[in-house]
Amino acid sequence: MTERSRTTEPSLPEPSLPEPRRARPGHRDHRPLRIAHLYPSLLNVAGDGGNLIAIVRRSEWRGIPVEVAAVEKGETPDFRKFDVVLFHGGQDVEMAVAAEDFAKKAPSLREAVDEGVLVFAVCAGLQLLGHRYISNAGEEMLGAGILDLETRGGPQRFMQHAACRVTIDCATETVVGFENHSGLTELGPGCQAFGQVVAGAGNNGKDGLEGARSGNVFATYLHGPVLPKNPWLTDRLIEIAVSRAEGAPFTLAPLDDELEHHAHDVALAKAMANRGRRTALEPARLVRGLKK
Amino acid sequence: MSSQITRRPTGARTDLTFRAFLALAVGKAAARATQMAGRGGGTAITGMVARRVDPHILQKLVLDRGEPVVAITGSNGKTTTARFTAALLRGEGVTVSHNSAGANLVQGVTSLAVSYADLRGRLPTGVLVAEVDEGALPKVAPELAPRALLVTDLFRDQLDRFGEIYAVAEAIESVAAALPPDAALVVNADDPMVATLASEREGTRVTFGLALDRSTDQITRAADTIRCPRCQADLTYRHVYLSHMGDYKCAACGFERPKLDVAVTSLEVVGLDATRCEIQTPSGKLKIEIPQSGVHIAYDAAGAIAILVGLGVSLEHAAESLASVGPAFGRLEKIDADGRSIVLAFAKNPTSYNTTLRALATEGEPRQLLIAASNTLVDGEDFGWLWDVDFESMAPKVERAVVSGTRADELANRLKYAGLSPSKMVVVEDRGDALEAALRGLPADGRLVVLSGYTPLIELRNEMRRRGWTGRYWAV
Repeated sequence: MTERSRTTEPSLPEPSLPEPRRARPGHRDHRPLRIAHLYPSLLNVAGDGGNLIAIVRRSEWRGIPVEVAAVEKGETPDFRKFDVVLFHGGQDVEMAVAAEDFAKKAPSLREAVDEGVLVFAVCAGLQLLGHRYISNAGEEMLGAGILDLETRGGPQRFMQHAACRVTIDCATETVVGFENHSGLTELGPGCQAFGQVVAGAGNNGKDGLEGARSGNVFATYLHGPVLPKNPWLTDRLIEIAVSRAEGAPFTLAPLDDELEHHAHDVALAKAMANRGRRTALEPARLVRGLKK
Repeated sequence: MSSQITRRPTGARTDLTFRAFLALAVGKAAARATQMAGRGGGTAITGMVARRVDPHILQKLVLDRGEPVVAITGSNGKTTTARFTAALLRGEGVTVSHNSAGANLVQGVTSLAVSYADLRGRLPTGVLVAEVDEGALPKVAPELAPRALLVTDLFRDQLDRFGEIYAVAEAIESVAAALPPDAALVVNADDPMVATLASEREGTRVTFGLALDRSTDQITRAADTIRCPRCQADLTYRHVYLSHMGDYKCAACGFERPKLDVAVTSLEVVGLDATRCEIQTPSGKLKIEIPQSGVHIAYDAAGAIAILVGLGVSLEHAAESLASVGPAFGRLEKIDADGRSIVLAFAKNPTSYNTTLRALATEGEPRQLLIAASNTLVDGEDFGWLWDVDFESMAPKVERAVVSGTRADELANRLKYAGLSPSKMVVVEDRGDALEAALRGLPADGRLVVLSGYTPLIELRNEMRRRGWTGRYWAV
C-alpha cells in the first residue's frame, strides 16, 4: 500500500509484484494518459468534474502527462484510443438526453472495455452502463449493457454522506462520498459490487452493496466528488490505466496526502454519524412532498 | 401613476385571536431578548417562536388582511434585488416593511411580518418586501398571496436540499401559476428556465434582462441550463451575459428569449466600486449609477425596476433611490479594520463564487485570503459544488490563504487541486482564530479578502463587530 493506513482498517498484505518502475517528478518517461470525459456540459452536477481534476493532478504530480478530451453529444470517437473514460452523474432531464446519445457511443465503448480500457462512472453513468433504467412512470431508458445491472426509479431520494469498503488488488480501504439518487439498482450475476456499504443506502438501501465493478469498469453512486477525498482509490485507478497502457505493472510514488486524508476522515465521520438513516437532511422531504 | 398600493379586500376576520396575539407578543419578546443578549438580530427566532405559538400567524397578519406583498425568489440576487425594490418603493413615497437581513426561510419571513406589525397585528400601510428562499416558497407563498412575485434566476444551489434544479423549478412553477389574478409575475427573461415559468398564466407579466450588443461572459461549467426548456435541444446564444443567462434561441423549436419589458441597454462595471447602466422601461430610459459592482447588479436593478412596473408604481426617483443602496451584508462589503482594509464577499454556489471571483480579479485580488465553508441547515451539507468553482483562475494570485469553517477540509483540498500550494495555506477551523491568523499575516498596506458561505460570514462579521470595526449585520 502506498497510502498511510487508517487505524480502523486491517489491510491485507500487498501481493508480490515485480519491482515497480517509479515515476520521477519532472522526468517524463510516460506517454500521456489519455482521458475521455463524457458529456462534460451535460452531466456536470454535484462537482463530479472534481474526479477528472483529481486524476489529472495526481498523474501530473508524478510526472505522468495527461491529455483530456471532452466527448459531447453527437461525437462518436473510437474509445479504444483512450486509457480512461469518465462518465459522471446528471439530473433526470440531462440523463435522458445523454441516454439517447449514448446508444450511439455504446458499441465503441464496449469494444474499448473488452480491451481493458478503464471506465469510472458515477450515478447516472452507472445507471447507463447497465441494461436499462425504468422510471417511476414505467418509461424505459436503455443502457449500454456493459455492466450486468438494472435500475428502477424509487419512491425516495437518498441524500447523505456515505461510505463503503472497496477492495482492489487484494487491498481494502474505506471510500467515502455523498450519495444523491433515487434510482434503485440491482446487480446481476455478471458483475460484482464496487464496495460493501458501511454507511448510507448504497445501490438500493437493501442489499448492502455499493456500485458495480466488472474488470476495469468501476461504477459508484458516490458523488462528493469521490476521487479527490479518496486518493487511495484515485491512485489505484491511475495505476490500472498506466499499467494497461504500458503493458507492465506500475506503482505510483507516494505523495503528501495530508489534506486529502483530512477531507476523507471528516466525510467518514459524517457518514458514520448518519448511519442507519436514509436521508441526512430534513428539507429534502419538503420538496419531495410538493411533487404531487 | 399612483404610488399607493391598497390592501386587497378579503372576507377573512381581521381581529386577532388570543392565540395570534400571544404569538405576536412572544415573538417580539424573543427578538428583544436575543438582540439584548447580543446574539444576532433575532431574525429567525422571532418567527420560529411566533409560529410555535400560532402556526397561522403569518397568514393572519398578511393574507387575511390583504396586505400587499412583493416576494422575491430564485437562486441568486434575492437580497440585493429586495434592497433595490425597497429603496425604489420608498423613493416613490411608499412605506416598506422589508427583511433586510436576508433571513428568508419560513421563520425569517414570519419574523418580518411579526416585527413590523403592531400588537394589534396591523402592518404599516404600504408594501411588505420579502425575499423568500426558493425551497421555502411553496410553503410561504400561500400565506402571503403576493401582489408581485419576482424570480431572479435558477442555478444549481444546494442540490443536497433540493435534489435537482428541476424540483426547484417545478415548485416555483406551481406557485407562479397559482398567483392571484391581480398579481404581477416578474421574470428574468435571460434565464431560459425562468423565462418559461407559468407561461400559460393570465395576468400581468413583466420581463427583464440585458440587451447589450456584446457578451459579458461565456458558458462555463457552472452553467445549469443551456438546453431548451421546451424541447431539450441545445440553445444557441447571440450573447452570453452571466453564466447561462443571455440572449438565446433554440434552433430546433424556435423558442427564443421573450421580448424585454425592462432592458439594460448599456453597462459599465467600475472596479469593485460601482455599476453604471442605462435601463429602458415602458415609461422611458433611466440612467443609473449604483455603488455596487458587477453584471449581476444590473440584473438585480432591472428586476427591482420591473417589480415597480408590475405594481404600477412610478419610477420618478429611481436613479437617486438606487444610487443610495450600498452593498448588502457581505456583498463585496468593505470594512476598515483599524486602518487595514477587509473586503467581505459572500459566496454560496458556483455561480455566485465565479461572479465574485471575476469581480475581485479586476483588481488583482484575492492576494491575502480568508476563505470559509460550513455545513449548516442554511449553507447545506454537500460541498461537492466547490469543485465546479473556477478556483484555478484564483490560485496563482493568492499569496496566503487561511481556510476556515466546519468544512475547511473540503475547501483546503479543493484549493490544493486548484493549484494553490499547501505551503501557502493554513487550516484554522474556528472562525475567530482564523480571522486572527489572517490579520496576523496581513502586510500593513495589505487588503484581506474574506470569501465565505452565509453562516461563517456572519460569525466572522460578528467577530469584526466585537472589535468595533463594523455595525450589526442586520442593520446594513
